Amino acid sequence: MPIPKKTIIIGGESFEIPDFAKFFGGGLRLILMIVGALWLLTGVFIVGPDEQGVIRRFGKFSRVATSGLNYHLPFPLEVVQKPKITEVKRVEIGFRTIEQGPPAEYRQVPMESLMLTGNLNIIDIDMIVQYKIKDAVAYLFNVKDAGETIQKTAEASLRQVIGRHDIDEALTTGKFAIQEETMTLLQQVLDKYDIGVLIVQVQLQDVHPPQEVAPDFKDVASAKEDKERKINQSQGYRNDVIPKARGEAEKMLREAEAYAAKRIAESEGDAKKFINIYAEYSRAKDVTRKRMLLETMEQILPGVQKYILTSEGQINLLPLAGQNPAKTGQ
Amino acid sequence: MKKSLLITISVIAAFILLAFIFYVVDEKEQVVILQMGKPVRTVTAPGMHMKLPWPIQNVVKFDDRLLDYDTQPTDVLTKDKKYLIVDNFAKWRIADPLKFLQGVRDEKGAQSRLDDIIYSELRVQLGNHDMQEVITESREDIMQAVTRDSDLKARAYGIQIIDVRIKRADLTKENENAVYERMRAERQRIANQYRSEGEEEALKIRATTDKEKEIILAEAYREAQILRSKGEAKAIEIYANAFKRDPEFYEFVRTMDAYKKIFDDKTTIVLPPNSSIFKYLK
Repeated sequence: MPIPKKTIIIGGESFEIPDFAKFFGGGLRLILMIVGALWLLTGVFIVGPDEQGVIRRFGKFSRVATSGLNYHLPFPLEVVQKPKITEVKRVEIGFRTIEQGPPAEYRQVPMESLMLTGNLNIIDIDMIVQYKIKDAVAYLFNVKDAGETIQKTAEASLRQVIGRHDIDEALTTGKFAIQEETMTLLQQVLDKYDIGVLIVQVQLQDVHPPQEVAPDFKDVASAKEDKERKINQSQGYRNDVIPKARGEAEKMLREAEAYAAKRIAESEGDAKKFINIYAEYSRAKDVTRKRMLLETMEQILPGVQKYILTSEGQINLLPLAGQNPAKTGQ
Repeated sequence: MKKSLLITISVIAAFILLAFIFYVVDEKEQVVILQMGKPVRTVTAPGMHMKLPWPIQNVVKFDDRLLDYDTQPTDVLTKDKKYLIVDNFAKWRIADPLKFLQGVRDEKGAQSRLDDIIYSELRVQLGNHDMQEVITESREDIMQAVTRDSDLKARAYGIQIIDVRIKRADLTKENENAVYERMRAERQRIANQYRSEGEEEALKIRATTDKEKEIILAEAYREAQILRSKGEAKAIEIYANAFKRDPEFYEFVRTMDAYKKIFDDKTTIVLPPNSSIFKYLK
C-alpha cells in the first residue's frame, strides 16, 4: 500500500511529505491510547513476602509498599526498589567460602584472621557476622557500598575487641564475651553511619594460635593433662591407703575389745570357779586341801621322770615309768 | 487531522523543554547549579526542581551518601619507636558540594586529599602513644582524635569526616617473629608450671595420705591399749574381789594349777623320801 502524500507550502515553495495522519487514519489515536495504557501498566509491581518496595517520585522518597500487588506511577515519574528485608546476609572475616558444598570449601585469609591480642600475642580468628536490613530506606540511601562497609567495620571491631582481651581468654573462656562486645561495638558504629542494618549474630568460628606456635600451645594442653594425671594418680594412692589404714585400725580396736572381753570373761569364770570351790572348801578345809594336793600330784607325776632320794642320800628310780633303766646316783 | 498532528508535536516539544528546565535530585544525590560555569546554588533536597534551560544553567551531581575512603596499609612509628603496619578506612560525606567542587572537584580528588589529611593526623596521634596502647586501651580514643582533627581540616574542602577507623594494626615481619619467640617462651613457662603444680599437688596428697594413715593407726593403737587395759583392770578387780576371801587358799589352788602346767614329760623331779606323798610308804 503506497503511503499517501500531501503537499505543504513553506516560503512559497511546495514540498511533498508523507501524510501519516491519513496513513494511520483513525488508527493513530487508538495506537496512542494503547501505548499510553501499556505505559501506565508498567507501574504494576509485586512485592514478595521477604521484600519491601521503596518508591521514589522524581528521586524523592515517597512511600514504602508492603508485600502483595502494588502500583507506582510509571517510569520516569516513580521508581521502585525492592530490598529483601527478611534475608539474613553474612560477612566472613578471616576466610571465604569458595564452595557452598556439601562438601563446603573454604579459603583462609591470613591477612584478616591474624591479629594482636591485648598481651601482644598473635591469634588466628575466623568470624561470621550475620545481619539483616532493619530500615530499608536508610539501607538504600544513606551509605554507599553497604556490604563492604559492614565487612570493614566488622573486621575493625573484632580487632579492637581482641585488643582488649589476652590470648588465653580468647582461646578459652572469653569467646562469648568477645562475641558480645564485637556485636555491640559493630552495631554502635553502624548506627553512627545510619546504615539501616541490624546485626543478628556475631559468631567466632575458629579461634586458634598461629601455626608458628601451635606445638607450644599443644604442649601446654598436654602439660595440663600431665598435671591432672599426676593428681589422679596420687588420689588413687590415697584411695588405696586410707581405707586400708581405717580397716587396720578397726581390726586393732576389735582385737583389743576381744582381748578385754576375753580377760573379763575369763576372770569372771576363774573367780566364779574359785568362789564355788571355796564355798565347799570352807566346810572341810583340811580334807579338801589334802585331796586337791593329792589329785594334782596324781595328774602331774605320771608324765614326769622322777627320782627319789633315799634317806642315805641315794637316788632310787621309781620303777613306775616302766622301761626306764635303773640309775644309781653316787 | 491537522489538529492532532499539532497536539503531538507540541507534546513532544513540551517534553524536550521540560527536560531542559526540570531536573531531578535523587535521594542519593545532591547537586550544584552552574550558570555559565559559575556555581549559583546547591540543592540537597530530593525531588523535582526547576532551573533555567541548558545551556544557561546546568547541573553537577554529587553523591549524598556516606562514602568510603580506604588506603593501602602504611608503616607508622609509635611513641616507643616501633613500627606498626596500620590499615585504616574512613567514612565521609560531601557536606558542602560547592566547596567540594571548588576544592577537590570530584571523589577521586577527594581521595587523595583525604590521604594527606588522615595519614598525617594518624601519624601525629600514633606518635603520641606506645604500641601497647594502640593495640589495647587507646585505640578508640586515637580513632576519635584522628576523626575529630581530620574532620576539622577536611571541612575546608566541603568534606565531613564521620569516622576514621583503624582496621588493622599489625606488627612488621621482624617484630612478628619476636612476638612468636616470646609466645613460645611464655607457653613453655606455663607448661612447666602446670607440670610442677601437678608434682606439687601429687606430693601434697601423698604426704597427707601418709600422715593420715599414721594418725589413724596410732589413734587406733591408743584406743586398743585403753580397751585392753580396761579389760585387764576389770579382770584384776574381779580376781581380787574373788580371791581376797581367802588369799592363802587362792595361793594353794593357783599353785596346784601352776604345777599342772609346769610339769610335763620332759620334767625330771627329785623327791626326798620324806616327801609327804610318801608318808604312807614307810
